[in-house]
Amino acid sequence: MTILSLTSQSAQTSRIRLNLPKLRSLVLVLSVGALAACGQHHDDTPAAQTTASATSMPADLESAAAEQLARGRYLVKAADCAACHTSADGAPFAGGPKLSSPFGTFYGTNITPDRDHGIGNWSAGDFYKALHDGMTPDGPLYPAMPYTSYRQISHADSDAMYAWLMAQKPAAVPNHQPELSFPFNMRFAVRFWNMLFLKDGLPDASKGQSPEGTSSGASADWNRGRYLVSALGHCAECHTPRGKFGELDNALPLGGGALGRVAAPDITPQGLAARGWTATDLQTFFATGIAPQGSAFSEMYPVVHLSSQYLSHDDLRAMSTYLLGDPPPAAQPLQSRSSASADTAQLAAGRNVYLAVCAGCHGRDGEGKPHVAVPMHGNSTVRQSDPHNLIVAMLDGIDAQDFPGLERMQEMPGFAGQLSDAELAQLASYLRATWGGQPGDVTAEAVKALR
Amino acid sequence: MTAPNQNSGSAASTVPASAAASTATSASVVELPLTQFRAQPVSLKVNGQEVGPLQVPSGLMMIDLLHEYLHLTGSRLGCGQGVCHACVVILDKPDGTSEEIRTCITGANFFDGKSIRTIEGHAQRDEQGEVVALSPIQQKFLEHFSFQCGYCTPGFVNAATVLIERLKLHPVARDQVEQTITEALNDHICRCTGYVRYYEAVKEVVLTMPGLVKDAA
Repeated sequence: MTILSLTSQSAQTSRIRLNLPKLRSLVLVLSVGALAACGQHHDDTPAAQTTASATSMPADLESAAAEQLARGRYLVKAADCAACHTSADGAPFAGGPKLSSPFGTFYGTNITPDRDHGIGNWSAGDFYKALHDGMTPDGPLYPAMPYTSYRQISHADSDAMYAWLMAQKPAAVPNHQPELSFPFNMRFAVRFWNMLFLKDGLPDASKGQSPEGTSSGASADWNRGRYLVSALGHCAECHTPRGKFGELDNALPLGGGALGRVAAPDITPQGLAARGWTATDLQTFFATGIAPQGSAFSEMYPVVHLSSQYLSHDDLRAMSTYLLGDPPPAAQPLQSRSSASADTAQLAAGRNVYLAVCAGCHGRDGEGKPHVAVPMHGNSTVRQSDPHNLIVAMLDGIDAQDFPGLERMQEMPGFAGQLSDAELAQLASYLRATWGGQPGDVTAEAVKALR
Repeated sequence: MTAPNQNSGSAASTVPASAAASTATSASVVELPLTQFRAQPVSLKVNGQEVGPLQVPSGLMMIDLLHEYLHLTGSRLGCGQGVCHACVVILDKPDGTSEEIRTCITGANFFDGKSIRTIEGHAQRDEQGEVVALSPIQQKFLEHFSFQCGYCTPGFVNAATVLIERLKLHPVARDQVEQTITEALNDHICRCTGYVRYYEAVKEVVLTMPGLVKDAA
């Protein structure tokens, strides 16, 4: 492990003395190669800065290396690498998690320093090329790897991530090949996809404002948030609709995507404000997974669990500043729809279903129960104009979830086997009209289509 | 506990005037649709007997209907939030299968038109209503000294009974018995930690009652 970690940066040369001379020469050759690759692009990386004094100041080197490793660890969390590269029952970063898509199934790959199955033979330059261009020493990556977003990661940050990953334990876990249908199984075709769709970044969904007395274009928070959201967090990969070829739709950045069973909601400033999100609530949500608007579930739950809970307060504030814009739009209060506007008999039927199987945990008035179930009153999923996610949650249920700190929410059972299409439609309509400010217009057909 | 106490005149008269006034104002300002209590008729079959129609407040939980309206106090209210499973009763479905259902988080109105069995319905009784024979699982729980305080026992009896009824329809292989019992009883919590003795009692019933286990084929 130590040997491999040394290939990354000369910053760690002080440790070489502990190793056999033979290994030492091998390591030196490799690290020179790696450095040459980094040095070409960026001379301002901490590693590059310390190279000049490599032989004379080992103490500084040690601290610079430690600092780079710590930064790499933070960045790997911010980029949520573990979501796709660490499986629940596997070694860290040894790959495995399944990623379903309309084109077939992808499996996260082994990115440990293992030489046979991982990225142990990659240089820092190779790593940057993979993040930036989707190109590895073994050929092009599929855009399931979000290099379309990661290409905005700076070279210095890429090097830090590489250094930290290379310092992890190698795991000899073979990769699972993607299971794709024709023509998507022709990997070389990705080159053409890249020519057409690999762009430097999506347009911004929000606007920044230059701080008073300056003309810098946007505040430091907004710019930092943009980097965290667009580059590292790769939020757009799920939250932006995709075109026919799986490319992100430039016209609707962060406007909501539907790759999985649960759709990724609209997180444009207008979309968030319409569901009652404020900057404070967004930060609470990223840090703890729970806000007054509800808890993270489906694919957002691991994002909080593996990534956003570890981000600093400053970075979370920056992310919410970027998402909501500077200044943010006012969160819209819940519209109360009078029962006259909706079909009263249908709402009464929905209320009965709610009292029968929901109120025990979500409260008779939708107020929720602490550590059991979130409130339905003003819930972000209930307030979505499309009832898709609400129906899916009712059909499939939500697993018990542990949140950062001591918070947890109980398992929500799925009601696909308990309730009919008509009952679920009545229930969804009741929830929307009563606590979502949305019309109670869900039909049994809409429920049936999602079973 | 969850039963509303709306009709109690004495309770209403003790409410301070300011609180009563604010309640009246808020009611006139914001009125979300259909969040008020109203009575609903509920008819169901309990332990083979038709009950109802009862006029119960909407939002009343089933455990309260059993305790307060039917005076069947054998089902236990434990956590009140669906975790401990002490309150489960057996729901008999029209297709002849049975399943557990938590009465602390399921509204009484859910059971309208349905058929359930509670802990009071397992033993055989004579015409005077006296117990003459326990069900096999009840008997084995006694013989194995499965419970101490007994608070979780109604839930365990119902869970094990549902398991036995499932195995009658779909027997399992002998090497699957332990796994099957663990999965079936896994959600039930016993604070006296009588799990092993519950488990052994259920295992004995499963292995000795004919037709629950597929012999090696």
